[in-house]
Amino acid sequence: MKFKDYYETLGVTRTTSTDEIKKAYRKLAHQYHPDVSKDPAGEEKFKEIGEAYATLKDKEKRAAYDELGRHPTGEEFRPPPNWSGQQNGQAYSFDDIDLSDLFASFSKGNRHTQQSRRMPIPGQDYELTTQISLEDVYEGTTVELSFTVPEYDNQGQLKRVPHTFKARIPKGVTNGQKMLLRGKGGKGANGGKDGNFYLNISFLPHRLFRVSNHDLYIDLLLTPWEAALGATVKVPTLQGAVNLKVPAGTNSGTKLRIGKRGMPKHNHENGDLFAVTQIVVSANPTEQELALFKQLADVSTFNPRVHFE
Amino acid sequence: MQIEHSELLWLDEQHEVSLDQLAELSALTQEELHQLVESGVLIPNNLTGGIWYFNSHCLVSIRKLSRLKQDFDLDANTLGLILAFLERIRMLEQQLSKT
Repeated sequence: MKFKDYYETLGVTRTTSTDEIKKAYRKLAHQYHPDVSKDPAGEEKFKEIGEAYATLKDKEKRAAYDELGRHPTGEEFRPPPNWSGQQNGQAYSFDDIDLSDLFASFSKGNRHTQQSRRMPIPGQDYELTTQISLEDVYEGTTVELSFTVPEYDNQGQLKRVPHTFKARIPKGVTNGQKMLLRGKGGKGANGGKDGNFYLNISFLPHRLFRVSNHDLYIDLLLTPWEAALGATVKVPTLQGAVNLKVPAGTNSGTKLRIGKRGMPKHNHENGDLFAVTQIVVSANPTEQELALFKQLADVSTFNPRVHFE
Repeated sequence: MQIEHSELLWLDEQHEVSLDQLAELSALTQEELHQLVESGVLIPNNLTGGIWYFNSHCLVSIRKLSRLKQDFDLDANTLGLILAFLERIRMLEQQLSKT
């Protein structure tokens, strides 16, 4: 088991009072709490802060932690024999758990009276983000979710147990959608309910399409003559390519709607696909192309910047 | 183990959770949820009749609120204020994602 210096995490010393520890925790929580901070590293940092505070704010846990002695953070260590944090005098294997599991179990076990030992303890909630391709979202898919949770084995030893289950993601999900899988979180103890599993859906970026709710957007690149004269162009969709009529005189930034070719909705309808036009010229035109453009420039009276004058 | 559609609860504006479910899933007490409804920051879909039902998407904010309450020792008045801000942020982020 690797040692974590909870005092160092909170920026306090071993003699700091509980009140001062609380102040230090609050200051760091304001800075790193994932529901407050936008720092991408904030969530991990806050887990460390919360874990340290959960132990140091509690007089008995703090005393048990202090008994572990001082070690450099990350150093492998084992609690001393007859360490007071051992649950009901039972020895831990310490192989598959970390310090946070140890102190979480300490609160559930060591201080329990006969009455509180029978109190139902709900299982922990878990949250995971899974990334899905647009093609899979379009068809509906099954995702395999894997995570490890601390659980007691038959010998009463705390171990990290891997869990894997499959969840069917039906058609109609949107990017950022959250789902709840009831009872799929950590196991409850003493008849407490099992925790829940929160699944966040995140769409993988697609090489062609952008998603906005149930609508899709694609950049439709046009040559100047296709834009000026109009054309019928092939546009890919998630259900195969379709022919799209581009009207003569189409400008850049025009959104051409292709109905019901977007993402599926709950009601079995589909969003729309919008082809956003962009007029492009060749970076390597031929002599003949240049000559024809020159000819056009000479005869054209079109001035797109007339409003500047 | 295969989990079917029925075991999934979508957290969005089309699905609902009851007051009991909201309390169970968020770890806020029914009393705290009642206070949020009374202060007008949490609005059931059927304010006047029977068991209260809420759009399931509110569970996202309510769970966040529950975590903040636990991690910052917040009182009931502060919970209402924070929920109002969380909802405002959610709506602004939703608008932003549409632009």
